[in-house]
Amino acid sequence: MSAGGVVSLSRRSISNTLRQPQMWVPSMAFPLIFTALNTGAMGRATRLPGFPAESFLDFAVATAVVQGVLFGATAGGSDMAVDIQDGFFDRLVSSPVSRPTIVLARLAGAAVLGAVQSLVFMAILTAFGAQVRGGAPAVLTIVAVAMLLAMAIGGLSVAIALKTGSSEVVQAAFPVFFISLFTSSAFFPRELMSGWFKTVASVNPLSFMIESVRALIIGGFHVGDAMRALAIVAALAGVSLLLSLRALRSRLAAG
Amino acid sequence: MNSLGIALSLAGRNLLLMRRIPSVVVPSLVFPIFVVIAFSGAYSALTRLPGFPVDKMIDWILPMAVVQSSAFGGVNVGLSLVRDLQGGFFDRLLLAPVSRASLVAGPILGAVVRAFVPLAVVLATGLAAGARPRGGPAGLLMLLVAAEGVAVIAAGWGVGLALRLRDQRAAPLMQVGIFLTVFLSTAQVPLAVMSGWLRTVATLNPMTSILALGRQGFIGPVSWAQTWPGLVALAGGIAVLGTFAVRGLAVAEQ
Amino acid sequence: MSKPAGAASPRAANVEVRGLVRRFGSITAVDGVDLDVAEGEVFGFLGPNGAGKSTMVRMLVTLLRPSAGAARVAGYDVVKEAAKVRRVIGVALQDAALDPLMTGRELLRLQATLHGIPRGHVEARGGELLERVGLTAAADRRVGTYSGGMRRRLDLAMALIHEPAVLFLDEPTTGLDPMSRISLWEEVRRLNIDHGTTVFLTTQYLEEADELAQRVAIIDRGRIVREGPPAELKAQVGEPTLQVVVPEGDLERAAEVLRHFGEPAPARPDSLAVHLAGGAAGLAAVVRALDERGVQPVSMELTAPSLDDVFVEATGRRLEGAQADPAVPAP
Repeated sequence: MSAGGVVSLSRRSISNTLRQPQMWVPSMAFPLIFTALNTGAMGRATRLPGFPAESFLDFAVATAVVQGVLFGATAGGSDMAVDIQDGFFDRLVSSPVSRPTIVLARLAGAAVLGAVQSLVFMAILTAFGAQVRGGAPAVLTIVAVAMLLAMAIGGLSVAIALKTGSSEVVQAAFPVFFISLFTSSAFFPRELMSGWFKTVASVNPLSFMIESVRALIIGGFHVGDAMRALAIVAALAGVSLLLSLRALRSRLAAG
Repeated sequence: MNSLGIALSLAGRNLLLMRRIPSVVVPSLVFPIFVVIAFSGAYSALTRLPGFPVDKMIDWILPMAVVQSSAFGGVNVGLSLVRDLQGGFFDRLLLAPVSRASLVAGPILGAVVRAFVPLAVVLATGLAAGARPRGGPAGLLMLLVAAEGVAVIAAGWGVGLALRLRDQRAAPLMQVGIFLTVFLSTAQVPLAVMSGWLRTVATLNPMTSILALGRQGFIGPVSWAQTWPGLVALAGGIAVLGTFAVRGLAVAEQ
Repeated sequence: MSKPAGAASPRAANVEVRGLVRRFGSITAVDGVDLDVAEGEVFGFLGPNGAGKSTMVRMLVTLLRPSAGAARVAGYDVVKEAAKVRRVIGVALQDAALDPLMTGRELLRLQATLHGIPRGHVEARGGELLERVGLTAAADRRVGTYSGGMRRRLDLAMALIHEPAVLFLDEPTTGLDPMSRISLWEEVRRLNIDHGTTVFLTTQYLEEADELAQRVAIIDRGRIVREGPPAELKAQVGEPTLQVVVPEGDLERAAEVLRHFGEPAPARPDSLAVHLAGGAAGLAAVVRALDERGVQPVSMELTAPSLDDVFVEATGRRLEGAQADPAVPAP
């Protein structure tokens, strides 16, 4: 497969997303709105014994990044479904572009957008007083995590797009991502949860990923946290890449 | 046929359509149930903060989720109207020799009836999950009043926007409007727990009084002090957004 | 085709339009239209897409306010007495605005209620109309499953539920197959004969206007460019047109010959056309003259003026869609 093919197709996928503000504006706006709301409503929760951060805003930075990437990365999948519906996908398949490139370009596009999102969130929230205590190494790690997470979510939605060929179904998968985020420790620390909810959050892999990212922000840079965060998202991205390539193969075999 | 009869038969059509598009109904049930479960699970520790009037988070969250589900149910009427406007069906209604107000009143009436469904389902789920209506039947009645009032307000908002924008652009505006109005109030925590700008906004937001009206029965016995501000807020909201909807009709007829 | 002059009935009513204008921003969609439709008449409003037909209908049926001018339907002003106008008109708008999730019967029931049919009569009236448009068997299916022709027939039934005095049909057969189109034509004709209903019909199909309308108006760019009975309009265009296809090399010589027989008319690149001054009787002379100059025509065709020619003569253009017209059923 040619690197040029990936670059030009991922550029198309990025510009496609940017040209549809309804695809990315909510994924930028909603995490910020949630952060503002929750900081106002739950700022005092930091006084509860066991709360891991001194400021709720610091606590919420990781939430915003992960939430934004989750919202944004579904766009690639629903674009892919639109391509399938429009027949553009068939044109790509019949062109000399190697087939996995079609999928990889989408994921590369999602990764670039994820990186941009994470930087924008960190910049805006820092301007409002949040602190990333881990400094530059933490920021770099978080950007890498965001890229891998974008590929993981993007890969899943691309796999759904390839399987169903319907952008509605891809959009409908979005609440599933949202629910898995909400049943993790994304919005509130696991230390303060109790009962069955704590059990669910404790088996949700997103919890561990978010907690490691959060540790880089509220604690400082530790190689162990960084490795853990990267390992979890890399594993998720690997699985979802496999799924999307398999979905591609079965669509091509069927078509 | 009088205007009320016309409004009723249009409301009936609205209910018929609700039964025929389950894809609209199901999310409007699933989402608030999820809110009840997830919010009361994730934020259970918040009730330990000073100034939180309940011990169990679900008692705080459930009434909000019920009101929110009515609000989204009300807004759905606006979404149906967008469909009618785009498909041209609304022209057919405009061509009928009936009072213009009944064309708006019909769908809003439909919202009132259809709000019962999520209300009952969400409430039942919450009660099964352990919420305790300390205020008894009177408390539940207050929640019903708050939820139905909000359904009317939200329907007015949805219908007014639909008539002005006439296409799918209206949908996100409808939902974001409802979402912000609910969450910029005491949706998640009481005023005493909030800090900074949110506390100021929530104090001014009429939704705070409406939630207090609907929520009081889950905190303690029903009292007039917790009731009247909510009733005033509902009346005001209905007047303002009802006018917004009826004026929208004049815009649509240009 | 004989055209019935609809018998006047006490419920029939006329349409009167004076200086009607509608602007949308800087665009003037309808630009000072005067029209009269008599009681019991089928009136055809003919024009290409975007000529202002739908804007005109929407003003006449009270859905759109005129920017200037006035219109009266059955004697009622469409702005000041909109509610009264709505009571006497039946309307089938373009694209049959029906709710695909409702059944035919449910829609008729709703329409009956909206038009104030007493509750006890709703079912009977709905059933009768369903029967009349041949939808009884499909009455309890969702409209989403109907074919285009069935939708138009249901739309027509709904427009008739309150026995309107004036029926407005906005492009009632656009997109229909020939069979459905003919059955709709028959229904409209029957209404006009049996009930004396005044029919105001817009169309972009020439034969539709020719077939149904006792009088037509041709609208182009918001203005009426011709008005009158189809036969009269065609007669005004005058002589029949002679199309001659000749071998390429003979084109110039043939043109020279034909110039003596009448005014040139628009033609395809490989052929020539003239408005034959002497009518069909002059044909033999043309053949002889061509022969004398040694021109051997490939084909010759003499056509009487059609509404299309009226349109060309009035606007200098052909009516869009006239060529791609699917309406003419194979003989």
